[in-house]
Amino acid sequence: MRNEKLDLVTGDFYTQNFQKGARENTLILNMGPQHPSTHGVLRIILELDGEYIVRAEPILGYLHRMHEKMAEVKTLVQYMPNMGRVDYGHPLAWNWAFAGAVERLGGIEVPERAEYLRVISCELNRITSHLLWWGAYILDLGAFTPIMYAFDDRERLLDILQIVTGSRLTYSSFRFGGVCADINDKFKELVNDFIPYMRTRLPMYKGLVTDNIILRKRVEEIGYFSPDMIRRYGATGPVARGSGLAYDVRRAEPYSVYNRFDWKVPVYEKGDAMARYLVRLDEIEQSLNIVEQAMASLPEGKHIVDKAPKYTWKAPKGEAYFAVEGGRGKVGVQVVSDGGKNPYKIKLRAPGFSNLSLFAEASQGTLLADAVAILGSLDLIIPEIDR
Amino acid sequence: MIQTVLDQLNAQCVAKCDHAKTGLAWSVFLPASELLRAVKLLHKEEFFLEDVTAIDAKEGYLLVYHFDHMDRPGRLALRVLVSHDAPRVPSIAPVFSGAEWHERETRDFYGIDFSGNPNLVPLLLPADLDVHPLQKEEGARAYVADLLSPCEVLRSEPGFDLLTPKAVEGDKKAKAGDGEGTAA
Amino acid sequence: MNGIATELIRIVVGLVAVAAFVGLNGLVLVYAERKGAGHFQRRPGPFEVGPHGVIQPIADALKLIGKQLFTPENADPFLFWLAPLLSFFPVLLLFVPLPFGPVLTVWEVDLGLLLILAFAGINVLALLLAGWASNNKYGLLGAGRAVAQSVAYEIPLLLTVLAIAFQSGTLNLSTIVSQQGSWPWQWNIVTQPLAFIIYLISALGETNRAPFDLPEAESELTAGFHTEYSGMGFGMFFLAEYANMIVVSGVCTALFLGGWKGPFVDGFWWYLVKVYALLGAMIWFRWTYPRVRFDQLLNINWKWLLPLATLNLLGTAFLMKVF
Repeated sequence: MRNEKLDLVTGDFYTQNFQKGARENTLILNMGPQHPSTHGVLRIILELDGEYIVRAEPILGYLHRMHEKMAEVKTLVQYMPNMGRVDYGHPLAWNWAFAGAVERLGGIEVPERAEYLRVISCELNRITSHLLWWGAYILDLGAFTPIMYAFDDRERLLDILQIVTGSRLTYSSFRFGGVCADINDKFKELVNDFIPYMRTRLPMYKGLVTDNIILRKRVEEIGYFSPDMIRRYGATGPVARGSGLAYDVRRAEPYSVYNRFDWKVPVYEKGDAMARYLVRLDEIEQSLNIVEQAMASLPEGKHIVDKAPKYTWKAPKGEAYFAVEGGRGKVGVQVVSDGGKNPYKIKLRAPGFSNLSLFAEASQGTLLADAVAILGSLDLIIPEIDR
Repeated sequence: MIQTVLDQLNAQCVAKCDHAKTGLAWSVFLPASELLRAVKLLHKEEFFLEDVTAIDAKEGYLLVYHFDHMDRPGRLALRVLVSHDAPRVPSIAPVFSGAEWHERETRDFYGIDFSGNPNLVPLLLPADLDVHPLQKEEGARAYVADLLSPCEVLRSEPGFDLLTPKAVEGDKKAKAGDGEGTAA
Repeated sequence: MNGIATELIRIVVGLVAVAAFVGLNGLVLVYAERKGAGHFQRRPGPFEVGPHGVIQPIADALKLIGKQLFTPENADPFLFWLAPLLSFFPVLLLFVPLPFGPVLTVWEVDLGLLLILAFAGINVLALLLAGWASNNKYGLLGAGRAVAQSVAYEIPLLLTVLAIAFQSGTLNLSTIVSQQGSWPWQWNIVTQPLAFIIYLISALGETNRAPFDLPEAESELTAGFHTEYSGMGFGMFFLAEYANMIVVSGVCTALFLGGWKGPFVDGFWWYLVKVYALLGAMIWFRWTYPRVRFDQLLNINWKWLLPLATLNLLGTAFLMKVF
């Protein structure tokens, strides 16, 4: 952009690059990386005609940590804590994807009890992820109060997860061949209290927030994604399920013991922001069902294999891909090993990355306020997108 | 169906993989010129793009495109080998729009040029950075055959030797890797 | 000569009192807003400064006063600093005709209502200047929204006020109050319920309060027209917003809720109780509702409030003529 008054070119590389395609008489607006509704450090450059969006381009990389390079200089065991830091919303999904890929590569059998513990902690973590999203999304739409209610519930869950993982946000409690610790009586008691409690909260949220006419008008028929668009961009998770595609990795590519439990994949056909909203709220309910059944049928046994890989453990040569269903969609980890101590290559497939790439197309022709509603409905966790 | 797609591909090699061991259902090697036609077929068959990445091997950059299907799950890995000297492949962004970002990311990390990508500017790394961090040094590179898990090769073009273990190097690696690894 | 002097002294004293009242009220409302928000959100709100955090607003005010005043690069410094002043000082005039009690009015004018509506219009100019002069795109978008919104919501506001004026036959707020009785069923809200609802919604739109806080919509425009203001520049807008809230609530009380009249003993306490009840409702709305979208905001106004207010006015006029 040329500033006439100062006679110099303003804007950085990306702004100038974006400016090239601009139409006459439009306003280029830089949203982020410090903006209240871009959840951290996402940056979006918008071309506005009045308040209507002509063109949008997300700019990534403000939280890029090059996890994939870090993998090459760490041993596999050392790399596990990184997985807790890729996605602060649902870190246990990443734990699982990485542990699963390495177990697949090394042929490590996971004890049955460990599988159950993984399911329980991962599903509880999914609920915290969706609660965080729910509160933050309503905040994006201008209502401040619900996030406090969501955090109230989330706080109880964090207390529970702390017992089994040892941390409150960046969990890295999975190990190759199991999990780091078994559960105790306190955990059982808290989970058994939490499940009925949360079931009384969900109808309240529906009455308090979901049925609010202002909210419905803000999210219904906003940000429509067609199934073809979902496939072209590779969007997964609640975003795909909100567009009528019943794709859940837990069902499609069954892993662990998920097929032993009775649960449904929530699918909504409408493809708007409301559909994605409802999918996530329903998933909280389904996760509660899974946790309840898993707690009831928890088998006895070890929580980790006897000879779990240690620090200098070397994976055999080869390649393995493991996908799990995270809070935002398909979390995939590809591990390539040349037989050395450090992995040869690790690829992290972040669901948010593919989901966000939809935004440029979906936001065209919408209002600025709708863009915020669409962005929020994608459930963005920037560290996961930037990796 | 996946089988019809595979039959129509002018692939260098088609291999069926064991999902329990590798997480893949199919592994397909393609020449760069066939890539666009292949992804068009996949798009028609309603596949979706999972990710695009590359493996820096001794023979060159092995680009990997992971596809999956929402109704009939089964991961398909399309692999395209490009040389270190002129790393260039056609972009698949015109077919799978989401590939634009994946390709930009791969360019950032490996320096591979995706001709036809609508907006090939740095995505995750700073715009003025000249380094491609995931490129390996010459000595650290391994052969493709040592990196991929063994899969059942259904058909392969004559002269296709990417998956043939390289004897000399293979021995050395086998010693380093405790001999436990199942070399392809 | 003597008469004019006493009038002048009365107005000056009144304005000083109003300024003091507005400042003090700002503090009380800040505390009420934060404490109210806290309790709506299952947390205690401010708690550390003084018992139950009662001194918190003073600490907030000191913080605002102590901050550096910052003019952004390329902003027009004159207009930039004119805007907060223009936003705050006309509001003081709006208090002049408000009937706080039977004799507690700064200046009883026959055109009191008109005075309030006229000076309330200046606020939008201040918002426009603030957004325009700060050389910020978010500010500009916020200012654009502010103008469209204020212009739109002033019309139904005016029409509902006019309905009461028809009914009472005067624009003098004190007279309107004295025509109403002490008990709730003797208030104008009984004869004009629709006007009351339209007034309340328009008042929220007019004062840029949630769910109609679009000019400063945090999650879209960061802070809209006052994005670039720091310290007391922001403090002025803040104070003006609260003062405007009191004015619209005060007018509402006088028009619909019997003003200083109440059961048992009439007096200014009833006026304050009713004004604060309305303010409490506004705070309650803010912490309960999401924000509407801009086109929805204008649709509500042009497609619902305006026709309804017009019908209400015509109906009132018709009934006045017949009976």
